[in-house]
Amino acid sequence: MKLLLVTSVDPWVRSVASVHRLVAAGRVLRHEIFVYGEPNAQLPNLPFTTDLAGFDCAVFIMQVAWDLPDMPHLARLLDGIPRERRIAIDMWGRFNDTIRLEHDFNHLEKLDGHAGWEWEEAFQAISDTILQPTLAPLRPQGRSFLFHGYDQASLTAPRRTAREAAAAWASKDYGAAYVGSNWQRWEQVRRFLEAYAPLRDKAGTVCLAGWDWNARPDWAVKMGLMGIDTDPALLARLAVEVRDGVRFDEVVGLLSRARFAPIFHRPLFRHLGLVTNRTFETFLADSLPVLMLPRDFVAAIYGEAALALVPGNDIAAHLDDALSRPETYWDAVLQTRSHLAKHHSYAQRLRELEALAKDSAKAEGAR
Amino acid sequence: MNVLVVMKHRGDAGNTHAVANYMRLAPKHGHKVAVFGTPIWYVPELQFSMDVRRFDRVVYVFESDPYRIKPLNEAVILDRFPRDKRLIMDTDGMYNPVVTVDGYDFNHRNEAERAHWIARLDALGGRIMQTTIAAPIDPRVGVMTFYGYNPELQLHPSKAPPKQFDILHLGHNWWRWREVSREILPALEEIRDEVGRIAFIGLWWDAPPPEGPAAGPEEAFELDPERLRRLRIETPKAVLYNDVIRTMSTARINIMTQRPVLRRLKHLTLKYFEIFCADTIPLLMLDADHAEAVYGPAGRELSLPGSVANKLLDALRRPDRYREVVAEVRRHLVSHYSYDRRVQELFAVLQN
Repeated sequence: MKLLLVTSVDPWVRSVASVHRLVAAGRVLRHEIFVYGEPNAQLPNLPFTTDLAGFDCAVFIMQVAWDLPDMPHLARLLDGIPRERRIAIDMWGRFNDTIRLEHDFNHLEKLDGHAGWEWEEAFQAISDTILQPTLAPLRPQGRSFLFHGYDQASLTAPRRTAREAAAAWASKDYGAAYVGSNWQRWEQVRRFLEAYAPLRDKAGTVCLAGWDWNARPDWAVKMGLMGIDTDPALLARLAVEVRDGVRFDEVVGLLSRARFAPIFHRPLFRHLGLVTNRTFETFLADSLPVLMLPRDFVAAIYGEAALALVPGNDIAAHLDDALSRPETYWDAVLQTRSHLAKHHSYAQRLRELEALAKDSAKAEGAR
Repeated sequence: MNVLVVMKHRGDAGNTHAVANYMRLAPKHGHKVAVFGTPIWYVPELQFSMDVRRFDRVVYVFESDPYRIKPLNEAVILDRFPRDKRLIMDTDGMYNPVVTVDGYDFNHRNEAERAHWIARLDALGGRIMQTTIAAPIDPRVGVMTFYGYNPELQLHPSKAPPKQFDILHLGHNWWRWREVSREILPALEEIRDEVGRIAFIGLWWDAPPPEGPAAGPEEAFELDPERLRRLRIETPKAVLYNDVIRTMSTARINIMTQRPVLRRLKHLTLKYFEIFCADTIPLLMLDADHAEAVYGPAGRELSLPGSVANKLLDALRRPDRYREVVAEVRRHLVSHYSYDRRVQELFAVLQN
């Protein structure tokens, strides 16, 4: 399959890591996968092209409006690749009615200039095949395709047994590390930090890596946007090490320096059951994931063994127990990794995508 | 046929006014025209729509600014209208080789900028039409007058506002200063004491745009406000497109200038026509042949280059004579440039 990925790739944000892994998996499976655009010196491992010849399918990976390329490229793409060979992936739940949850949202005109109906029309303009990285899309037209995946070959420190993993885990630079920007996650992060506080001396410092954890950004204040909150006093009291975002290829390395690596999904994503790159990538780190996620979601995505990694309401007790009995938790991690490798590999994603591309072409042909 | 126009719409710009005429006359021919976007409160007569599915064709009106609508909307429009249902109006001669006039005005600053424009218009596809009276330089381009003369907008002297100015120039200071400073101001200096109030109405006659380089090339806004002040030339603020004709009618004489590169390419602009709707004597900074090509033989008499001071004084002294010339030009415009004809041309092109 010759696949063209259309999206804006940035080494610091969004789905760049998953794009890399998909491309790498494609090489192994002898698919040809390119990213639309001019070569990017910051991303030397991605093959870029603007030559549209011979592609079986163009996959528009949509998160923000500028994932659509500027003119003249957009016209070349939409005119040059027939509709039946185009697929749209709605990564952030835009192809839904407008949703407001806590302070989170899927459409906000004052932020990006686009109302909900504009997103809806744009998706429908790109393709009839609209995929969403959730197991249960809300709309009948949306189809499930998780896009992100788990790349067993990228494990930082493969462990054969839970004992081996637990032994290597005894000494870490940080007690816990989270990589992600301050966007609609503060309440969950705060809850984690407060629960973690009594364990700090025993487990180690917390590292928060991402944009805007130090202070509520001016632009959010000016726009009256809530959900990008923080509490510098709390962070100082807990001696949390706050640092800016890290490049996509440094995330797993940083997480591996911590005993615990919590996974938070923003309220909108929890509601829609959307997965992210970090949903899977965190399991590549040599760290114990703490799944701050709904249990039914965890069971469905990660498998039953991963339920042991969900702290439930008593986060402190969960972390303390993990410190006391790390092998039990590492056993759950190793089982979960096996589950992810079996069900959520990028090879699996490519098989799914190939089938969806064929369906799309067939459906359009039938019309 | 329902036609959606994608353009940078501004209440104080000529193309918006031209499109307003298409909107007004299209229903008479069984068509409808709307601009892509949301309504502007101060020009309620302009019809806007974002409901792309209700339209059959799209017309992109490009000026010298690479205007782009938001990418999500752009995707919807590109999907809705395949290439053969898109028409591009190149009103500022951008789909041409680099043309530089006297090392001053230009359509493209350099080849790279030109290549970007050409790539963009080629990608949009459809037909490209230029608003010129000359043969297009590029053989792929067609010609369409686009602008027209609407005799219904002609202001009868009995309904015209009182004359406040002897001489008026209405238009933005966009690539005008060289011609104004070299040809018009010296003439005004010569006759200043024999003439009453003079005004230059439009943007940037008092100062360049506050946006700085983002507004365009610095040279385009060249200006010497002190020289205007010395000549007692007033610079009131710009007026909306629907107030242009009435404002022009506050002066006995209106001088029409055109940015040099468009004059070189013989592009028409709306000003060519709306100035003849005003209750005024239009005098044109076009050479006599150029004036005749657009306005007919009578147009030659309204040509200013070479005798600016004399002609201004002559028109002020013998207004009746000039009014006859203007009436003759209007007859020519009615028979050759009516918007009715323009609307039919546009829809014929779109239908083909």
